[in-house]
Amino acid sequence: MSVIYFLIGCSVVLALIFLIAFFWAQRTGQNEDLYTPSVRILLDDSDDADTEK
Amino acid sequence: MQPEKFYYDNKIVRNFGIATVIWGIIGMTVGLIVAIQLYSPGMNMGNQYTTFGRIRPLHTNAVIFAFVGNAIFMGVYYSLQRLLKARMFSDLLSNIHFWGWQLIIVSAVITLPLGLTTSHEYAELEWPIDIAITLIWVVFGINMFGTIFKRRERHLYVAIWFYIATFVTIAVLHIVNSFELPVSAFKSYMVYAGVQDALVQWWYGHNAVAFFLTTPYLGMMYYFLPKMANRPIYSYKLSILHFWALIFIYIWAGPHHLLYTTLPGWAQSLGIAFSIMLIAPSWGGMINGLLTLRGAWDKVRDDVILKFMVVGLTAYGMATFEGPMLSLKQVNAIGHFTDWIIAHVHVGALGWNGFLTFAILYWLIPRIYKTQLYSKKMASFHFWIGTLGILFYAVPMYWAGFTQGLMLKEFTPEGILKYPNFLESTLRIIPMHVMRSVGGGFYLLGVIVMAYNLVRTAMQGKLVANEAAQAMPLEPLPKAAKEGTWHRTLERKPIQLMIAALIVILIGTFVELMPTLTISSNIPTIAAVKPYTPLELQGRDIYIREGCSNCHSQTVRPFRSETERYGEYSKAGEFVYDHPFLWGSKRTGPDLAREGGKYGNAWHYNHLMDPRLMSPGSIMPNYDWLLTQTLDTTTTVAKINAMRTLGVPYAPGYEKIANRDLDKQAKEIAANLYTDHIKIKNDKEVIAIIAYLQRLGTDIKANKTASK
Amino acid sequence: MTGSPTIEKISCYHCGDDCLTETYILDDKHFCCHGCKSVYQLLSESQLCNYYTYNDHPGATRARIDRRFDYLSEPSIVSQLIDYTDQQVTMVTFYIPHIHCSSCLWLLEKLNKINPAVHYCRVDFLKKQLNIRFDHHRLNLQQLVELLYDIGYEPLISLQDVIKEQNAATKDHLVQKIAVAGFCFGNVMLLSFPEYFGISAYEQSFRQFFGWLNVLFSLPVVFYSGREYFVSAWQNLRRKSLNIDFPLALGIAVLFVRTVFEVITHTGAGFADTLCGLVFFLLVGKFVQKKTYHHISFERDYRSFFPVAVNTIVDEKEKPIPLSDLHTGYRILIRNNEIIPADAILLKGHALVDFSFVTGEAVPINKTWGEIIYAGGRQTGEAIELEVVKPVSQSYLTQLWNNEAFNRKQDNRMQTFNQKVSKYFTIVLLVIAIASVLFWLPTNINRGIAAFTAVLIVACPCALALSTPFTMSAALSIFDRNLFYLKNTAVVEQLAAIDTIVMDKTGTITTSDNDHVQLNAQLSGIDRELVYNVCMHSNHPLSRMICRYLGSYKRLPVTELTEAAGRGITASVNGYQVRIGSEQHVSGYSRDTSAGTKVHVSVDGNYRGYFAFAHQYRDGLKNINNLEQDYKLYLLSGDQDHERFELIRFFKTTDNLFFNQSPQDKLDFIGKLQQQGAKVMMIGDGLNDAGALKQSDLGIAVTDNVNNFSPGSDAIMDGRSFGRLPAFLQFSKDTVRIIHASFLISLTYNFIGLSYAVTGKLSPLFAAILMPVSTVTIISFTSLATHFAAKKRKLS
Repeated sequence: MSVIYFLIGCSVVLALIFLIAFFWAQRTGQNEDLYTPSVRILLDDSDDADTEK
Repeated sequence: MQPEKFYYDNKIVRNFGIATVIWGIIGMTVGLIVAIQLYSPGMNMGNQYTTFGRIRPLHTNAVIFAFVGNAIFMGVYYSLQRLLKARMFSDLLSNIHFWGWQLIIVSAVITLPLGLTTSHEYAELEWPIDIAITLIWVVFGINMFGTIFKRRERHLYVAIWFYIATFVTIAVLHIVNSFELPVSAFKSYMVYAGVQDALVQWWYGHNAVAFFLTTPYLGMMYYFLPKMANRPIYSYKLSILHFWALIFIYIWAGPHHLLYTTLPGWAQSLGIAFSIMLIAPSWGGMINGLLTLRGAWDKVRDDVILKFMVVGLTAYGMATFEGPMLSLKQVNAIGHFTDWIIAHVHVGALGWNGFLTFAILYWLIPRIYKTQLYSKKMASFHFWIGTLGILFYAVPMYWAGFTQGLMLKEFTPEGILKYPNFLESTLRIIPMHVMRSVGGGFYLLGVIVMAYNLVRTAMQGKLVANEAAQAMPLEPLPKAAKEGTWHRTLERKPIQLMIAALIVILIGTFVELMPTLTISSNIPTIAAVKPYTPLELQGRDIYIREGCSNCHSQTVRPFRSETERYGEYSKAGEFVYDHPFLWGSKRTGPDLAREGGKYGNAWHYNHLMDPRLMSPGSIMPNYDWLLTQTLDTTTTVAKINAMRTLGVPYAPGYEKIANRDLDKQAKEIAANLYTDHIKIKNDKEVIAIIAYLQRLGTDIKANKTASK
Repeated sequence: MTGSPTIEKISCYHCGDDCLTETYILDDKHFCCHGCKSVYQLLSESQLCNYYTYNDHPGATRARIDRRFDYLSEPSIVSQLIDYTDQQVTMVTFYIPHIHCSSCLWLLEKLNKINPAVHYCRVDFLKKQLNIRFDHHRLNLQQLVELLYDIGYEPLISLQDVIKEQNAATKDHLVQKIAVAGFCFGNVMLLSFPEYFGISAYEQSFRQFFGWLNVLFSLPVVFYSGREYFVSAWQNLRRKSLNIDFPLALGIAVLFVRTVFEVITHTGAGFADTLCGLVFFLLVGKFVQKKTYHHISFERDYRSFFPVAVNTIVDEKEKPIPLSDLHTGYRILIRNNEIIPADAILLKGHALVDFSFVTGEAVPINKTWGEIIYAGGRQTGEAIELEVVKPVSQSYLTQLWNNEAFNRKQDNRMQTFNQKVSKYFTIVLLVIAIASVLFWLPTNINRGIAAFTAVLIVACPCALALSTPFTMSAALSIFDRNLFYLKNTAVVEQLAAIDTIVMDKTGTITTSDNDHVQLNAQLSGIDRELVYNVCMHSNHPLSRMICRYLGSYKRLPVTELTEAAGRGITASVNGYQVRIGSEQHVSGYSRDTSAGTKVHVSVDGNYRGYFAFAHQYRDGLKNINNLEQDYKLYLLSGDQDHERFELIRFFKTTDNLFFNQSPQDKLDFIGKLQQQGAKVMMIGDGLNDAGALKQSDLGIAVTDNVNNFSPGSDAIMDGRSFGRLPAFLQFSKDTVRIIHASFLISLTYNFIGLSYAVTGKLSPLFAAILMPVSTVTIISFTSLATHFAAKKRKLS
């Protein structure tokens, strides 16, 4: 079952990549405001913004 | 400072949209055909290229990678641009991605019916196509990250995180599960054998479901649902939490596909535990989605798009609850190998993936064509017929699953199997299969109506190929403002070092282990287990070509009901030379792990020629072409060599005499058949496959158990 | 789009208020005032009218249309306000109370369209903050603020910068630490499964491998995530005190050491999973405890209420100066809606001062020349000139802040339950541990050490450490849902410990919304019509109240309208002569001496009667006297005692009612009670209660709008839920009981574990199961119990 070493390795490395991503997110303040973005995406930026009510 | 003017690329979105619909219809039609073949084998039109074993993979690949795949790219290309306030990184890459992907699918449509397959489920495509997939995937990645880098919105909306996760994980999974050694242009052997191969396959198989059918759709749900309902997601915090939780748990649920196999017990339990844990994040996502619509149910009542979303989310909830339940050993013992699993995956595929895709299409096409949907009536017809279709599909399949699962386990009071003949259970569930295909038909009909509706919509509008938009360019934050004061950076150092160290160490261990990993294996070898003879090897490859493993498993689980029916339960050591493993995941027919020596050669000959001769009512198709087609022995040398490279102990130089042994064994079988008045030349494929079938499971005779 | 166009009521396209006049119309859209109209004008000029398509009436009503931000060109002031500046750009963060809907978000982030000098705007919705980066060569701070003001988003600028404090608060790496712990926890669990489910003989090689990986994973957990436990434990030891962090740190350390030891010596699998799980759950507990309200500030003092600068008059010229430079003798100019920053003598103009934020008194008060006006009042009506007689910090109100009460550290006034018990807990724990060593030592040393470590591991008070945060945060969110906002979780326990309640009167037990008008006059339909039409033309708060009271009538031509500020209005409508205002103004004499504000009316010289503006007690005040069994109740009022007898309805005796109390009196009164050993809770609303609120063991500020100013306090209560006060007190007691209960539960778990531990035989699996199970029980118990208690107290 030595393949398990390999799979565990893959998973852990994957997880680490995501962990680092998380740290990046924290450091660049991605998670500082966890409400406004959800509203922001509703607003259109198109020039002729077709805003359905 | 002026805001920058730029244009969203709607053309590429449109293209992926079209591809989605077309491949959807094709894939589902194929699905319908295979479904019908399960009660009237004649539906294969007496043609090997349209026979179940070969086109069932075509169905799965078409709906997963063609239909869902294109839908993902459609959704990602639309939402990514708008979330990042930037056009896609490069139009060229976008187009390469689009056409490349379609090319891959076309090649699948060609190779799979030809029987060119690795037999790994959802990874059947042979090595050249694997490479192509890798390349196109990289193109997609560059395009996505390029866009992220030149974005005009600092915050990455949660959907984007899901897309990133999809990209990274699928890349790794695909590569790991494609370690194969080419034998010829379109034939390769998996590097791992038996149990190890199985573990890799299902580590991939499950995560493919997780990261191809789930995460990208969750991402799209988080973007499109708020847009459709015009209200923010119920809890953005929760969605972020949902993402990170899902990411860290999903990766290890794989082994639950191998319960009761020869996989080490703890690995199975691990799979179960992680599967159970998965309920939390999955339901987090569903609840977040549904609660977004709280107080807007009046909207849902008269907006068919939201209706699709609601049913989709509900289906997701059901599937993600059922999954963990199925991974409980007791439930799995009944459900596994039966139609229950088919029902389970189709609730997810038809409900979650299908309905979300339809909702997005209905919402998005009118927008990029600057018009209204051609017919709301048709859309809601689609919704109802689709929902009906899902019901007609799922209910009978669950029913069939229970029925067969229980029948095969049932004993008489005297302690003998109530239904010793597998066929009885098959015949019992045929009506359900008929109903299932009706359900599938409904669903397909709905999709066709949608296609018409969308075409008319496109015709009445005009595509806004490049949608104008403007946003402020993103300046880097000034040093001082970026709360990076010296002590914080200092404080941050250790953990960064720690992580770096971890990575280095891990990669180190990897490099060190890699050689041993692939070949050597500390599975208890069984002296009696010998490599396949050349003829058997060729026969095995025919078995793979015809996709027998789509209906016949090759692993006996340690239940009395199964040891009674099939014989001694399987041992890890038996599969050490199986590149790839052929355990299968569904028993439409009986298990074949101990088939060897059960019947005479003549029985197999006749049975392959016309199964109904030997077992009346059988739904197995005729394999008469095996009787006429000549076995290609030119490949023997290459195959022996390849196997040796993978660690199968063929004596050095054996490849030179391999074909001689092959002929010898073939002649014996032909002669044996002749004693039963069957005249067949010894160079026909049927001889080889009979040889293989007769070998199956004969290495260890019952009650001679291995050192477990 | 235009709001409900009924015949009578037309609501303002911008802010949605009723349009009392027909005068403000643009693009056939009605507006209630010039301010709203001008905003609309500005937006339509810059094609930003989508503002009105996302929501109906997104704007704020614009009572005043004069803007004075000249002080924002004072470098000394500017430097205090901005976050960052360099040669090119300046960054500043404003607190804008009006931010409330997606339209606000949309507009404020499009400022660039109105003025290209603005580079980048980001709204933080919950904090109601706007972060702006702008080119200060082409736009200075004053112009920026004026721009915001012009589009109806006036930032709330004060010297005590709430924003900076808040942002400073969120600077620890707790989330990262949780992430690391969680990540390692997950992987370690994964790698420990083989142990749990047994590795078959031929897979031994995994043992080592997994063991080492486990150690690897526990490194960051101990040295990064778990660090602060060691730090805090150490600091407390230095201070000769044992807090809960000590046994925790001990547990973590032992777990780690023993894990490493076992892995190295191949004597076992170690406790990496327990270790990571422990730290992970502990940190989650910490996180839960850190619940804060971004939109509310509990720390406001007079500086956040008073203006940043004030206009002085130096040889007939206006000059803005920072408040800090304001000295006695200065002449200052106070315009409509400006706040009087220091005690001063009125020199010129009619002062009609609104003290609602000081005393809670809703109705503005007349002041005449030569009178001293105390700081904190808000002038309504015409501009007035005053001479400062006391420096800001020495004024009647603000001198409160010189009291030592304001230098006292706030939170650790009461020891929390946790602090109390953990001391003993730790001691007992150590005793048991050492005892078990001594027991085994003679016979078997290894076993002794095993027992020692096992005890410390099993008894590690994870559940105990978690019970408080989870209960408290559950309680907090329930208070929250009932519009009662607590500064932090510790306040819940303080609330439970209270035995004496002191209340302010005006604005606290009376509403400050001034709709309570009594009509003591015989007004015919025509009379009403006349009065309505006259009052409609006045911005005076009393006139507006009368209008609202009468409801709307059809507009009549109003001529020769003269408004004598502070006295009243004279006008002729349809030939009728209408006089409205003070008795003096209406009937030439003033013989009415009774308290309470009145507006008299005469038509064609015939006296018709008057409108009386009396206090209205908050509904639910009667629930208060239910408190009298368990609590001592006191009432402190700054007013005369003419309401004494009305109040008996609510307070059984009048002995505990005190009137004519100055802010200082209130503070001292509380101090006196505390010296008698009372645990005092003060409920107040205005600046004049600030001292008392601070002095008390638990200060609650009552307000009708949590975003408005309220003095520094431990908790802020929305006036609407005033009646629930008894329930709140009951509930706080329940929560403390729940904490005690969960403490017992966790103890039982500890005993179960200990009974194994002392024998020295502790399997990793056992520990790995016991720890999470106990944790989960505690968490689920506390949150369930809390919600049940809330139900019992009828708190939604």
